[in-house]
Amino acid sequence: MEQKKSKLSRRGFFKAGSIIVGGIAVAAAFTPFDGILFATEPPKGKGKWYGIGIDINKCIGCGKCANACKLENNVPKEPFYFRSWVEQYTIKNDGSILVESPNGGIDGFKQTVPDQDIFKSFFVPKMCNHCAKSPCVQVCPVGATFETPEGIVLVDENYCIGCRYCVQACPYGCRFINPEKGTAEKCTLCIHRLEKGLQPACFEVCPTEARIFGDLNDPGSKINYFLKNHTCMVIKPNLNTGAKLYYNALSSEVR
Amino acid sequence: MPQQIKRLVTAFAVFILMFLVLQQVLKPNSFGKLGHYRAMAIQENEARELHYAGSARCTKCHDEMHTDKAAGFHAQLQCEVCHGPGLKHVLYADKFKDGKLPDSLKLHKPDTRKECAICHQLNAARIKIVFDTVNNSMIKQVNALKHNLVDKHTKEELKCIECHNPHQP
Amino acid sequence: MVQHIQDLYEVLSKVDGYVYPNEIELNWSILIVLYPYITGLVAGAFILASLERIFNLHVLRPTYGIALLTALSFMLVATMPLISHLGKPFRAYEIMITPHLTSAMAIFGFVYLWYLMVVLLLEIWFDYRRDMVVWAGETKGLKRFLYKVLSLWTTDISPKAVALDKKLGYIVTVIGVPSAFLLHGYVGFIFGSIKANPWWSTVLMPVIFLFSAIVSGIALVMLVYIVLTRIRKLSIDMACLDMIASYLFYILIMDFVLEGLDQIHRIYEAEESFEVLHNLVFGRLFFTLFIMQGLFGTVIPLLTLGTLQFYKPKALIRKGIYLVVSVLILVGIFFMRWNVVIGGQLFSKSFYGYTTFKIGLIGTEGYLMAAVWLIVPFLILSFLLWLLPPWKKHEDDPDVQVN
Repeated sequence: MEQKKSKLSRRGFFKAGSIIVGGIAVAAAFTPFDGILFATEPPKGKGKWYGIGIDINKCIGCGKCANACKLENNVPKEPFYFRSWVEQYTIKNDGSILVESPNGGIDGFKQTVPDQDIFKSFFVPKMCNHCAKSPCVQVCPVGATFETPEGIVLVDENYCIGCRYCVQACPYGCRFINPEKGTAEKCTLCIHRLEKGLQPACFEVCPTEARIFGDLNDPGSKINYFLKNHTCMVIKPNLNTGAKLYYNALSSEVR
Repeated sequence: MPQQIKRLVTAFAVFILMFLVLQQVLKPNSFGKLGHYRAMAIQENEARELHYAGSARCTKCHDEMHTDKAAGFHAQLQCEVCHGPGLKHVLYADKFKDGKLPDSLKLHKPDTRKECAICHQLNAARIKIVFDTVNNSMIKQVNALKHNLVDKHTKEELKCIECHNPHQP
Repeated sequence: MVQHIQDLYEVLSKVDGYVYPNEIELNWSILIVLYPYITGLVAGAFILASLERIFNLHVLRPTYGIALLTALSFMLVATMPLISHLGKPFRAYEIMITPHLTSAMAIFGFVYLWYLMVVLLLEIWFDYRRDMVVWAGETKGLKRFLYKVLSLWTTDISPKAVALDKKLGYIVTVIGVPSAFLLHGYVGFIFGSIKANPWWSTVLMPVIFLFSAIVSGIALVMLVYIVLTRIRKLSIDMACLDMIASYLFYILIMDFVLEGLDQIHRIYEAEESFEVLHNLVFGRLFFTLFIMQGLFGTVIPLLTLGTLQFYKPKALIRKGIYLVVSVLILVGIFFMRWNVVIGGQLFSKSFYGYTTFKIGLIGTEGYLMAAVWLIVPFLILSFLLWLLPPWKKHEDDPDVQVN
């Protein structure tokens, strides 16, 4: 009797064990490695998970986005503080690269290279990438910057100590210290507008609809349509920041 | 226990205890609820003041402009692209339906060449851009510094909007 | 504020190529140069003191107490440059209250506290407890009260209790050496872990910081020792000084090799950032890197100290040489920190251009503020030397001469 019981339990042990091991093996074989698909972090959780798309082919470099961002968010007017700005890349026939962003593009762009010297030229709007593995969040010593459950990277200006470590850690130059407040500041994806059902200011004023945003967790969202139908790329994918700002037609010169 | 050890242990215990008490006292209430941050910070960020109203609000009153615009090239342009942030304007109008709008709340009417040139000035990066994929039309480019700069008859400087209706260019 | 904006416009006019608009302002200024510099002096001075204690190098005995007190004086101000550069200095306590465990800077708060409380203060306490009890009996008034408080009102100076002090002090020293390594290696990690910045992001950064820290700490103790014997009009212990100089020489070689290795690796791998860094080094960083850090801070001290290993001129001349060399090394390591901290911000993370560094005399980030944080440790050191003079300590070994 005693022996039989122990035999049973041993069999039970092997059975359970093989189920667990087999299960892990099967799960490992069938779990897609989505990291490669996005070159970034796959969408997390079940709620909203915001992603942004910018179509470089559509950007006309009017700088309305940069201007609207400053007006909507009371960003200091001086040309050293931008949550959103536009760069013009000009690749010349001799192969040299010229990058310009006079006042972040707010006053418009003047073509500085004559047509005959230009190989190609294009505008690149820049803003916070709302990285899923944000280097800026990682380095904040006090937890004054964080990713919300919806995937927006925010700053808590009532808790920020102004150590500027996050400014150093952002590979995209998207952060600055507000000279009046002494705390870090960055794009909030206009969370105060999203919450009221409005678009972020820069999306609102884009005349060519070069910018779109949406829920990466929703298969029918604009952003997923955009990702599906364009050849998208993030800036500096080698840094593995989990950037969620996807560019269509991004040239390799853009950094 | 030797005397010096006793004193040291007491000193360290007092120090650590004070630290732990201070930590509990100073830690903000909502800290750690959602992650290593103040959960309240999300609400604080959400509570900030708006400036742009969104064009849905504009068409409520300025319906005619909207229909005007819908027929032309500027159909997909939101009102606030050219006129600037208008929430204060809209809120005032909502509140005092027939009241006269104070000048400070009147929205900007761009009429200079410079303002049109922001989008339409010739630029190598702009030239190939197709903005309207349905009609496959390119954005119109001119050299705003030369294009019909002066009226041929009166010899006075011309504004873009004297020939082009901005709502129906 | 207005001045700050004006400065930024001036910097804007000096930008070379393209930098992101937010990069025109240099975020970490001279105060953050001082922060690793001062922490490095602490770690280095402490390690020199530990050499005497752990390896029983009695020849270094005259500098033991000086090294410990020097380490403490600098340790007490080590975080001050960091705190005074904060945008919101009064929120600094948050680092201790809600430390973010993935942040190198947050953990530094605890590493610092551990090192200050558990290592430095304890070691000095065990070393001086008996003397403080004795001195409390010999003095009056405020000084007496200070001794009483500092000795935590202990009175037991029986041979048994003193032996226990010695034993515990030794244990603390043994813990202290890895702690000192940790302290300064950690400061290196604060920079080395920033993957966005190719000038900082290298695994060698903590090691380089550590060795340059030891170099600077030893040089500082050497300088303090020379100046102090001069002030007290005593004859200097040349055997001790020669020994320190030879340690300085060997560690300087290691520091030089490590930094060279880092650069060679960078040059050979020649990653995406190579061109921008190459132009940085030969452009805006040339003077501080090659002249101040390389020539004056490394090559000249190396050659001089190397020569002294074989050829020994008269004591007076050697003393003069050591004085000059220690100052050169202190300046050189300061510029090493400068080249890391400031250099790492002069180029754009877009790799397309450079900004410049402008610093004023006054203001929270000016030269005066920086000078304050470099002078205060020496004031603290003078106070500590007055309160706890190592040369008045009771010595058990009658054959060891203490100056």
